[in-house]
Amino acid sequence: MARSFRPSDMRPDPRRDVSDEIAFHLEMRTREYLDKGLSNDDARRAAIASFGDVAAVESECRDERGQSVQERARRDWRRGLAMDLSFALRTLRKNVGFTVAATLTLGLGIGITATVFTIVHGVLLRPLPYADAERLEMVWMTALQQQGQLPLSAPNYIDIRDETRTLQSLGAFRSSPSTLGDGAEPEHLAGVAATRAMFDALGVHAIVGRVFTAEEAVTGAPPVAVLSYSLWQRHYGGDRSVVGRQITLGGKRVTVIGVMPQGFAFPRGAELPSGLQIPARTELWTPLIFDSSALGSRGTLNLAAVGRRRAGIGETSVKQELGAMAARLATRYPNSNTGLGLTVISLKDQAAEPVRRELLILMSAVVFVLLIACANVANLLLARTAQRARELAVRAALGAGAGRIARQLVTENIVLALGGAALGVVLAIFGARALLALVPGSLPRADDVAIDRTVLAVTIATAAMVGIVFGLVTALHARRASVAETLRGSTRSTGGTSRATGRRLLVAAEIALSVMLLIGAGLLGSSFVRLERVHPGFDPAHSVAADVLLPIGPRFNPARDGPTWSRFFTELMGRLSAAPGVQAAGAVSSLPLSGAFESGGFAIEGRPRPPVGQGLGAQYSVIAGDYFGAMGIRLLAGRAFDIRDQGDSASVPVVIVSQAFATKHFPGENALGKRLQSGFDFTSSTREIVGIVGDVHQLALGEAALPMMYVPETQMPYPFLTIVVRASGDALGAVPGERAALKALDPTIALDKVRRIDDLVADSLARQRFNLLLLAVFAASALALALVGLYGVIALSVAQRRREIGVRLALGAQARDVLRLVLLEGARVSAVGIFAGLAGALAVSRLIRALLFDVSSTDVMVYGVAAVVVAAVAMVATFAPARRATKVAPMDALRLE
Amino acid sequence: MAGSDLFTGTLELLVLKAVSWGPRHGYAIGRWIRDTTDDVLTVHEGVLYPALYRLERRELLSEEWRQTETGRDAKFYALTAAGRAQLRAEAKRWERHSRAVNRALAALNG
Repeated sequence: MARSFRPSDMRPDPRRDVSDEIAFHLEMRTREYLDKGLSNDDARRAAIASFGDVAAVESECRDERGQSVQERARRDWRRGLAMDLSFALRTLRKNVGFTVAATLTLGLGIGITATVFTIVHGVLLRPLPYADAERLEMVWMTALQQQGQLPLSAPNYIDIRDETRTLQSLGAFRSSPSTLGDGAEPEHLAGVAATRAMFDALGVHAIVGRVFTAEEAVTGAPPVAVLSYSLWQRHYGGDRSVVGRQITLGGKRVTVIGVMPQGFAFPRGAELPSGLQIPARTELWTPLIFDSSALGSRGTLNLAAVGRRRAGIGETSVKQELGAMAARLATRYPNSNTGLGLTVISLKDQAAEPVRRELLILMSAVVFVLLIACANVANLLLARTAQRARELAVRAALGAGAGRIARQLVTENIVLALGGAALGVVLAIFGARALLALVPGSLPRADDVAIDRTVLAVTIATAAMVGIVFGLVTALHARRASVAETLRGSTRSTGGTSRATGRRLLVAAEIALSVMLLIGAGLLGSSFVRLERVHPGFDPAHSVAADVLLPIGPRFNPARDGPTWSRFFTELMGRLSAAPGVQAAGAVSSLPLSGAFESGGFAIEGRPRPPVGQGLGAQYSVIAGDYFGAMGIRLLAGRAFDIRDQGDSASVPVVIVSQAFATKHFPGENALGKRLQSGFDFTSSTREIVGIVGDVHQLALGEAALPMMYVPETQMPYPFLTIVVRASGDALGAVPGERAALKALDPTIALDKVRRIDDLVADSLARQRFNLLLLAVFAASALALALVGLYGVIALSVAQRRREIGVRLALGAQARDVLRLVLLEGARVSAVGIFAGLAGALAVSRLIRALLFDVSSTDVMVYGVAAVVVAAVAMVATFAPARRATKVAPMDALRLE
Repeated sequence: MAGSDLFTGTLELLVLKAVSWGPRHGYAIGRWIRDTTDDVLTVHEGVLYPALYRLERRELLSEEWRQTETGRDAKFYALTAAGRAQLRAEAKRWERHSRAVNRALAALNG
């Protein structure tokens, strides 16, 4: 060990070293020969001859020495590092209080940053869990008048698939829920019907058996199904012999032909537009069969499509090709395709786009918290460096160079930061898990969130960076203090005014950041309150919903099966409304706020037909029983559906519209009695408006209630309905009766997804609640940290100014004056911070605008409250040290010196 | 590995032995080797120096410039703790080795 302290520059010049040594040898040898009686010259020659090639030996020695010096430097560096480390650990152990405070602060800061980063990384950055996922693209239709992505129709999909040169393996899929009938109780399965190309595009293969072939996707082929790994484990205990076995799906015998790999659940609902009704995780795949009716309806947009870009083809080329294709389709099929475009979006963006902004805002918020935590620790460090000024000066005086001292400090701080990082990673592991449990189900790619090597690397890199910056900052400060002055022994060795200013600026920055976070939380909170106040258009209390899925036979055929479905639902509604504790029972095809919606075109009888592609459209729902009564939707005019609207040929086709529909299409007129030619009916018909009901927020509380049409199920049979029951007491109290009624009617049909309408409304705000919760937690932590920082700076300043305060008090200053002096100091720091924070918030306010509902991103109230709150708590934080300052005994303070 | 062939290995072992009683300079080490081995091993005295530098690099020797008894400046080499351990190990190895070779040669003769 002692060796490494030997100053390296005292070692002689290796060049001279070698030649001197050899010269000495030759001289001694010459003398030996002289003693033997040789002459001067002969002796010299003999010495050289016995030595060998002098120049060669010299150069060999020098090479050896050069390498030796390099190795020694490396060795010294390593030993120095070991020494620095052990010294750092000793120093940190000696100051347990400081170490614990700093590690905890850093650990919390790094921990929550890593937690949020884990989620951001999983959702936005990680490659999707499919082969070569960067090349996967979703294909959508776009409409001139409508925002967003529209599905494809089967004929359009087939045309695109056959004509594209930029995409390979373009697969189509749509939701196809099913009921598994083999168990004791029928069970709903999250199923999807897909073409073979979907698997090819994703590059996945079955781990047992195989996926279906194109031959199995034709009408009349023996039905087959592929299971997900989790379904396979859950129902068949991972038994490989399940392949080849027949199971009962929706009343049909279906042969299982394969099991997909663990974790494969494509498509996952949260990554796709909610209107497609794709389940959160798909667990059953069946072949998507295009029958003659599907091939004939170019206007039925119900397919999603995923494809793989060919190698070397960019997204722009695909967009261009599809754009041209859309134009061709529009000329070829003006009736269905006028005004429709085609577009692609990478699967990764498809998943990330809806949440990108929210996640980035949360990420920035958490980085703010980390910055504040760092500022606090930096303040602690600066204060401690000031206390250690003497130690450092002694080491400098003993010959340690500035570089050596800086290295020691950096090592110390990296050790500290890595301790924080270790704590942070542990926190992140638990934090990410806890956060995922809190995350609403609508978060895309929640399954892809994991603490992987990238997350660890980023966490550790962050920690190392924090450590290096801290170390260098403290080293710079330490160097600025002159060695001689410090050693001369002034006990007020607490740093000059510049250092105090630095600490105050750090605290002001902390306050500014917390003001910004507080404003962000305030804006989200205020829009959340407004969202909760939005009346959904129905009365959620006491109502409960549950899905019922009737078997649809070999294929969806309402003309043939419709009467059966209608009979079933009519009978079920009758039994339900008679059940004890039930006030009203109804059913609907698209339950509001569940993500489901259906749109259809229509024309108003007696008005000129609009040009192709510019027809009228509105959302519609098929309803049964007393749906309006069960949901608590108000009937404003006319009547609800009743016995008159049975599906027999005698009944007049009818429709009920919403208030918004009536106002939009019949302004200043009575909509009742008007007739609509519906384009969405399975049997196009002209329907008479018999009633007007209140508006309902179908998609989200934050979105306007759109015009809506309701059609009786008896006239437009539909096999998938959500039953809504209004109970007289607790909503869930009606469920057993509901189950019993269903069982009595048909024991093979399951009641799925039972949920209170209350919860449905609450869940529709889950994401907003989640964002608000996180931002509020971050803002609160930020504020707490900033106040601790402020307290620390003021307390230190009071401690340093004891003497000055003592003198003031001795000279007759009142406690009140001292109090004001200290409070003013705190107020100055917080005022700077608050104003900077307000300005900062204004500057970035536009970023949060998209997340707000009914609140301006520059809402004066929110900004004002945030400023006042921070000012008030800052005052409280300053008050304790200020009180202490007034307690300074003048004589004690003077005697201190 | 440097010094693994017979000659260099032997030379390094002898150098370590030469300084095992106390620091010596290069000339004295060379002289001791010449005297104790009756010049058998020495081809050129110069090869001693690279060997010294190698041993120093491996931290088996440490070096220091000081004055000789006659008042001359010379570089002295001393055994480090690692060098002493190496000497012990190498000497034992050499003994085993040479015994084995001797036995083998004797057997051949018989």
